[in-house]
Amino acid sequence: MLGWIVVVALAGLGFRRFSLGYPARPVGASTLGAREIHTVRIAGRTIYPEGGAIAASADRAGLALHADRFVGAQTGKNRILMRLLLVAIEHATLVFPAPGPRGWRRFTALEPDQRLAYLDAWRHSELPARRLVFVSLRAILTMGYFANPEVLRSLGLAPREIPRVVTEADLLWPAVGEHPQSIRFTRGDLTPPGDARAPLGPTGTIHPDYR
Amino acid sequence: MNAGVRVFAEYHRDFEDVCDVVVVGSGPGGAVVAYELARAGKDVVLVEEGPPFTPEDFELDGALSMARTMREGGLRTTRGTIMATMQANALGGGSLVNSAICVRAPEFTLDGWCDEFGLEASTRADLDPHYQAIEDFLGIAPTPDDVQGPRNLLFREACDALGYSSEPIARNVRGCVGSGECFNGCRARAKQSTDVSYVPAAIEAGARVYTSLQVQNVLASGSRVWGVTGRVVRPFTEELGHRFRIQAKVVVLAAGCMATPVLLQRSGVANGSGQVGENLQFHPGVAAMGVFPRETQPQFGATQGYQSLEFVRDGYKLETLWAPPGVFAVRLPGLGFDLKRSLSMIPHAAIWDAIATCNRSKGRVRARRWGMDPSLRWRLDPKDLTILVEGLWRLVELFFAAGATRVLPGVHGLPEEFRSLDEARRIRSREFRETDFTLAGNHVFSTTRMHGDGRFGVVDEFGRCHETDNLYIADTGVLPRSPSVNPMLTLMALARRTGRQIAARV
Ligand SMILES: Cc1cc2nc3c(=O)[nH]c(=O)nc-3n(C[C@H](O)[C@H](O)[C@H](O)COP(=O)(O)OP(=O)(O)OC[C@H]3O[C@@H](n4cnc5c(N)ncnc54)[C@H](O)[C@@H]3O)c2cc1C
Ligand code: SF4
Repeated sequence: MLGWIVVVALAGLGFRRFSLGYPARPVGASTLGAREIHTVRIAGRTIYPEGGAIAASADRAGLALHADRFVGAQTGKNRILMRLLLVAIEHATLVFPAPGPRGWRRFTALEPDQRLAYLDAWRHSELPARRLVFVSLRAILTMGYFANPEVLRSLGLAPREIPRVVTEADLLWPAVGEHPQSIRFTRGDLTPPGDARAPLGPTGTIHPDYR
Repeated sequence: MNAGVRVFAEYHRDFEDVCDVVVVGSGPGGAVVAYELARAGKDVVLVEEGPPFTPEDFELDGALSMARTMREGGLRTTRGTIMATMQANALGGGSLVNSAICVRAPEFTLDGWCDEFGLEASTRADLDPHYQAIEDFLGIAPTPDDVQGPRNLLFREACDALGYSSEPIARNVRGCVGSGECFNGCRARAKQSTDVSYVPAAIEAGARVYTSLQVQNVLASGSRVWGVTGRVVRPFTEELGHRFRIQAKVVVLAAGCMATPVLLQRSGVANGSGQVGENLQFHPGVAAMGVFPRETQPQFGATQGYQSLEFVRDGYKLETLWAPPGVFAVRLPGLGFDLKRSLSMIPHAAIWDAIATCNRSKGRVRARRWGMDPSLRWRLDPKDLTILVEGLWRLVELFFAAGATRVLPGVHGLPEEFRSLDEARRIRSREFRETDFTLAGNHVFSTTRMHGDGRFGVVDEFGRCHETDNLYIADTGVLPRSPSVNPMLTLMALARRTGRQIAARV
């Protein structure tokens, strides 16, 4: 009987730890679940807080939705690995507790300075596998950060417009997924060979998607 | 049917085709072979698993770009020593996303190949006519100063200051505007990747090009092959559709150093020697970031515009580098405000890298039970690790010689930044483990290597399989070991020779 009570209590605690108290999945997310999105969001706030040398925060840069798109663009095996990575970060406090009171709480439930210390411990770990998990998490977030127009503009890194050049290849295939009937160029559109093109520079017009 | 490139939207049922030669893979190896054969009047079918890209299809977001153009979403790694390695999945193969660097292999390297691998016709003098023909076809020329941008020119200044040789990198580009976006694909259509150069020329000469077809097996009976089979695959997914079979008098595998051994192992072909998939080699690279007092406008300029071959005989090559910021920033130190501070230095930064020959470090490729992705195992030899460390040291030395005020080495166990060369000297005295480095290796070789003796290699020096009379291989798997420099041009020279050899025989 006592055994059953312990099992039921543990199941309840497990359910609470793994499932309860997460905010709903944001509109626009289609691959990651509510818990995973929340983990990305909180990790994002820890790694890219508001203010500092670059103004934009993780929230403003839309890291959670970018991570959702990135994971969605991956093939099956990678999606599973990336989701496991998020679970590892969220729950490895049971194995590597964060410093401070109740450091075994799930990552997203820790205090902000505990989260920072927890991730920093992964970063400096002597276990290569643990460092790798951290680097992978930071990579996902960093790629999202640098996809944000505001971040790129603030560093002068926004892509510039490049005039469309038409070559023989443009007569041979359509855009990915389209039928060849959609090819819009003809021989008359070909850019003459040797047409001088000015090198890009900081005064160039910013690409419309990054303005 | 479209007279150009056949695309996913055009496959409505299972189909069969017959030709003289079927070439699998449209990267630098396969496209050159297909062109040479079509030009010689052969009936050629070029089959490619990836889709063809238009400039509008290129993603400017590095993460999404990688997920679309690279195998395993760009996240492929080796086991053993963990190292990232990227192989493309697109018409044009690696040439679509690479930095367009075209360098002839040094004479001493090719002489070494001949001596060690029983080759008789692969000296520099043997390959020079093929190198020349490719260079002429693609307009390969040293990068001019007007598209170098400050971060490439700083490298030249650094080499001059230290008395190291340096040169503008020769690239296969026409009208480069220095967007530094080679990794995402060239929006300016300047890079002469094979999709916009050799493939259109092969079509013009009569070749048929089928994209979005994954070859899964080589058909063989006895010591001959007679075609390939596989499935249609929807772009950017692993979703398989209709089946196809293409019969041919000759099969050329140019699916890349990772995919060709998988095809051979799955098909049980050409592996009596047990060498298929063995001898896997890479050029692992380390990169560091230098920060300069003035702005470097790092996103402008050729992706990789300058190099130094000063230390090639010592086993490493130094180059400039640029990549989507989100991709290289993975190596930068810090967390929270510290990380933001590191990233904010990018407008004043340059990134340079060292790639090492690493002939002692070997691995293998194996087919998995399911799917076409390879299982990769590779280990960095400790002596090769010391060469990488030496390469890192030279990079740091160059940065300070060019006036950098700090250098971020991105290596576990070292300080996050060096403020002076004196501080950095500890690089040379410290013991490193391979796991201290964030390694990447996109140059891959030797998994179906050429050898004069069929017991020790898979193909002869003309790319013909020792055991299978009408099966050829034309990708970097045939290189017997590292070419000491970036491999694409050497592969293309070898592929040209292979194409001509087949044309003479069919
Ligand atoms: C980011 C990056 C930068 C690089 N920069 C340079 C550089 O500047 N200079 C240089 O010399 N080298 C560079 N390299 C390396 C160079 O691109 C490769 O060495 C070169 O592309 C190899 O050519 P390949 O023909 O052997 O194989 P690949 O280029 O890999 O081509 C193989 C083709 O076969 C297709 N394929 C694979 N399996 C199948 C199948 N089952 N069915 C049908 N098709 C299949 C693939 O989709 C691919 O298109 C770089 C590589 C990368 C990834
Ligand atoms: S630097 Fe830009 S313009 Fe030049 S070849 Fe590369 S992608 Fe094209």
